Amino acid sequence: MIEASGTPLPWIVWVILLPLIGAMLCFLWPRQGKTLGLLTALATLLAVIALYFQLLDGGVIRYAVGGWGAPLGIALYADGLSMLMLLMSALVGVGVSLYALGYFKHSPDNPAGFWPLWLLMWTGLNGLFVAGDIFNLYVTLELLGLSAVALVALAASRDALGGAMRYLFVSLLGSLCYLIGVALLYHAYGTVDIALLGTLVERNPATHVALGLMVVAMLLKSALFPLHFWLPPAHASAPAPVSALLSALVVKASFYLLLRLWFDVFSTVSMDLGMVLGVLGAAAIVWGSVLALRQTRLKLLVAYSTVAQLGYLFLPFALLSPLAWQGGVYFVLSHALAKAAMFMAAGNILAFGGHDRIADLDRVAQRLPITMTAFCLAGVSLMGLPPSGGFIAKWLLLDAALSHDQWGWAVMMMIGGLLAAAYVFKVVGFAFTQADAPHDAQPVSPFMEWSALALAVCAILLGLNAHYPLELLAIGGPVTFVSPSP
Amino acid sequence: MGAAMTEAGLFLLDLLLVLTLLCLAWWSLAATDLFKGIVLFIAFGLVLALAWVRLDAPDVALAEAAIGAGLTGALLLTTLSKLASSIDNPPAKRSSPVLLWVLLVMLAAVLGYAIMSLPQQAQGLADTVASQMGNSGVEHPVTAVLLNFRGYDTLLEMAVLLLALIAAWSLAPRAATSCEMDEALTVSPIVLALFRMLIPLMILVAAYLLWVGAHAPGGAFQAGSVLAAAGVLALLCGKRLEGRLAGWPLRLGLVLGTAMFVAVAAAVMVGGAHLLQYPLASAGKLILLIEAAATFSIGLTLAMLFSGQRPSRGPAS
Repeated sequence: MIEASGTPLPWIVWVILLPLIGAMLCFLWPRQGKTLGLLTALATLLAVIALYFQLLDGGVIRYAVGGWGAPLGIALYADGLSMLMLLMSALVGVGVSLYALGYFKHSPDNPAGFWPLWLLMWTGLNGLFVAGDIFNLYVTLELLGLSAVALVALAASRDALGGAMRYLFVSLLGSLCYLIGVALLYHAYGTVDIALLGTLVERNPATHVALGLMVVAMLLKSALFPLHFWLPPAHASAPAPVSALLSALVVKASFYLLLRLWFDVFSTVSMDLGMVLGVLGAAAIVWGSVLALRQTRLKLLVAYSTVAQLGYLFLPFALLSPLAWQGGVYFVLSHALAKAAMFMAAGNILAFGGHDRIADLDRVAQRLPITMTAFCLAGVSLMGLPPSGGFIAKWLLLDAALSHDQWGWAVMMMIGGLLAAAYVFKVVGFAFTQADAPHDAQPVSPFMEWSALALAVCAILLGLNAHYPLELLAIGGPVTFVSPSP
Repeated sequence: MGAAMTEAGLFLLDLLLVLTLLCLAWWSLAATDLFKGIVLFIAFGLVLALAWVRLDAPDVALAEAAIGAGLTGALLLTTLSKLASSIDNPPAKRSSPVLLWVLLVMLAAVLGYAIMSLPQQAQGLADTVASQMGNSGVEHPVTAVLLNFRGYDTLLEMAVLLLALIAAWSLAPRAATSCEMDEALTVSPIVLALFRMLIPLMILVAAYLLWVGAHAPGGAFQAGSVLAAAGVLALLCGKRLEGRLAGWPLRLGLVLGTAMFVAVAAAVMVGGAHLLQYPLASAGKLILLIEAAATFSIGLTLAMLFSGQRPSRGPAS
């Protein structure tokens, strides 16, 4: 562990400050929003990469903001898990920023707010991934939730406003539950620092209630079945780049926070709940997939697919082996890349034909080949076919289940894969056929096509280089991630 | 004997406060008339401020009264006035959902149990804060926590406030040109005279609250809300920003608080110190600088949220 004080540039601070400064600049000069936004995205990517090398060199980073240190001050903390999340956000973030360059040129959606709101969301995301303090996490959750809601509402439609409003209520309810948990823990243990809490927490009523409330808050924000009701309308009605951000990153942030609480704060008391989360995850896989299969609108199909895929993230809570946790985290990464690409491809199709009715896709495959390739590659990862990132994730999860003779979970994953194949092929099938009523097509910006393809290719590449992320995850990871199971 | 009497009296006062709060909250939520609901909500905020006083938290009480009751109330009322034209009939009354009630009762029981199980006196961090006050640059513990020990939280909270405004603007229509607005509104000369007398006073009070925050309850959020109240008053009197100020000068004013905070936080790192690690000699001045910028931006932001419109770039005529 290094104290990052003597280092010339504390990158852990700049991954938060850069997007924040960029957001302010974009707000001050809205006309230069695109240029400033893109520059900020690239600068943030570079800062994240610099932090990555700092982490590789010196191991886990702990940084005392204001020099006070816990418990008086706030600590920032980065280990392999946080680093993976930062890299994932930076990759998807740059992809979406490039996509947005083309998207808002022709779209009826309101472009003015996009750049400052998205960069503030990125500030919240990065702040959340490196926070070492449960109250500071609450503040980052506020940044994240409010910016996400505002971004959904940028699509100036009735559906989007309704979806955004419901999303706001759910997000606030989740934050409140979380905050009550923070208050209980502070009163009981006199600190809000995660590392200190981890050593102090013991079994008592206040701890259990705090655990329950905080877990429910994160399940609500991660849209785990049956708390997923708000996700499809919000994710499907948002502008395409926003849908990509929400499905790829925002739901993962609350999942990450759940992992942090689970392992670093409540490790001594949390295990009783694991089976419940696993069962809910399995139910989410089936329910989300079946509903995705029944959708007639492309974006809703992709949104329900998110509900299903999020289910896999919760299987490790029941499988309880290092392999399963590696699989779960790998699933976060591969789903982020694949789902961002898929929502961007869906956005291209919507912009191209002016609608997203699956039955009337009308030979999109021939007319938008790059977009359709992106959609199919993303689909490969969602189904879990080799050589994609989704394959590695499912392989790790299956291996974990089978090596402990937990056949039920393995069967659930197989069913999920088959259903995913069914809904992906449903779209692909209609993309080749001619619709009854052909319609005019709008041009689609090359930025939108190529950025979707780039992220989809990344999702595939993730399957070919599995050892890099897994080695990174091992740096300072919670014990259960790395030690061989007994 | 006298001490026991006082204690009994205070207990009764607390009981009365709690019961009033519960009743006000219930009435406010149950009111079918939205206007009535808002007025009850404002009353709820004021009683809550009293409760904070009883809990020995005058800073929170000030903020609750100014922002929780005052400005939130004003925001809700101005929203209602905009809704009035679009809603013709009140929403139909729905049957109360049984499941929700069961969940709420369970939550209340579980929370009650957890709180009862906690020790009466929390260990907290008050002692640690007290022992480090000498290194904080200010004399008031709340200001030391907000601007120094946990300044990073406050920095992000300033960003949240900016975010709220950007979010509201991204949904709001642009205002009509300022000339039309002024003509549409007739303000009585008495109100205008009052306005001229009150504005300097409010600005003075804001400045005092900002200054006094260094060693007593007060500070940027309280001062900013007083400034915001002055802005709301100005808006109600039909005053609008001049066209030439409504563009980037206004936006600069809105980001100033966050920008100054980030600038100071980053600038102190130049000598190799951590983010927000003020040099002890200048800590007090730097905190005052951040708070002054924050006060200005908070006041402007809240007033702009109240106006609910993006000011237009000004009339061409």
